[in-house]
Amino acid sequence: MITGKNIVITGALQGIGKETVKVFAENGANIFACAYEEQQDFIDFCGELEKENHVRVIPVFFDMSDNDSIKKGIKEIQKEKMEIHGLVNVAGINKDALFSMITQRDMEESFQINVFSQIILSQYIVRLMRKNNTEGSIVFTSSVTAMDGNRGQTTYGASKAALIGAMKSMALELGEIGIRVNAVAPGVIMSPMTQKLDRDVIDKKLEVMDIPRLGTTTEVANVYMYLMSDYASHVTGQTFRVDGGMR
Amino acid sequence: MPKEGILKKREVDKMTNLENYVQAFCETLEVSEEQLTGLKYQDVPLWDSVGHMNLIARLEEVFDIMMDTDDIIDFSSFEKGKEILGNNYDVVF
Repeated sequence: MITGKNIVITGALQGIGKETVKVFAENGANIFACAYEEQQDFIDFCGELEKENHVRVIPVFFDMSDNDSIKKGIKEIQKEKMEIHGLVNVAGINKDALFSMITQRDMEESFQINVFSQIILSQYIVRLMRKNNTEGSIVFTSSVTAMDGNRGQTTYGASKAALIGAMKSMALELGEIGIRVNAVAPGVIMSPMTQKLDRDVIDKKLEVMDIPRLGTTTEVANVYMYLMSDYASHVTGQTFRVDGGMR
Repeated sequence: MPKEGILKKREVDKMTNLENYVQAFCETLEVSEEQLTGLKYQDVPLWDSVGHMNLIARLEEVFDIMMDTDDIIDFSSFEKGKEILGNNYDVVF
């Protein structure tokens, strides 16, 4: 499905991003695994995936809250002189706060990482794609909160909704050069982010799902894989809910 | 005269930088060298927003640089581009 493709994945240190790196490596893709913090465990994880799957898994470290750091990371990727076929933007932060407790600082930080940096990073990646006239794919990670709302997630939901808006306009502009842009909107997924949630909150979510269980990071990664693959060659400007039929 | 060994790489390459710059314009925008003087963004059909991205990608590849978004936006003509590359990216023409 994605064998031989060279794909940049952000937010690779944990949760959905880390699982996406694993799933993509197992399916034959070469990966730039981007994380904000250099950790030996993560470097070892990438090395093991390389050996087991006979692909390249290159760790790249940069901070999505800092445009200079992003540029430095892109230069690391550029240095490898590999054709780039896709970008999976998983990196994000969640600053939960009830509406009356939201601060300007938290909103700015959320939008910097969840929206602005992802657009800036996409600009750089598209330019890398254009060096080889590659027809590629970009996927953003939105959230069902962007469409449904959620208590305590005004800022998070707003930033994830902004990503959908950005995705749609980018799809319009980049379609003519063969670059597809889509978004995935996970529901309640077993990940470090949801481990912080109270059991009551999770139980309430399960009551409104057609498939009443938490999703797995693998199930989200599989949708990214489809969108990165040529099987999705006529799919752009769409948001895919991975939420077990949440109503 | 300084020895060649102590010159910066981009200075050593300066005889070819202008040629590379011109070639990037001609090939990406499908224009002749005669059209380049005074050529501005959107003067020719291929220098639209997509063509601009292609041109910048080509220049980044040729000069092994990664340009800032502000510079890409300011890159409004053949001459302005030379100025930006010279001032901000140490490309010697």
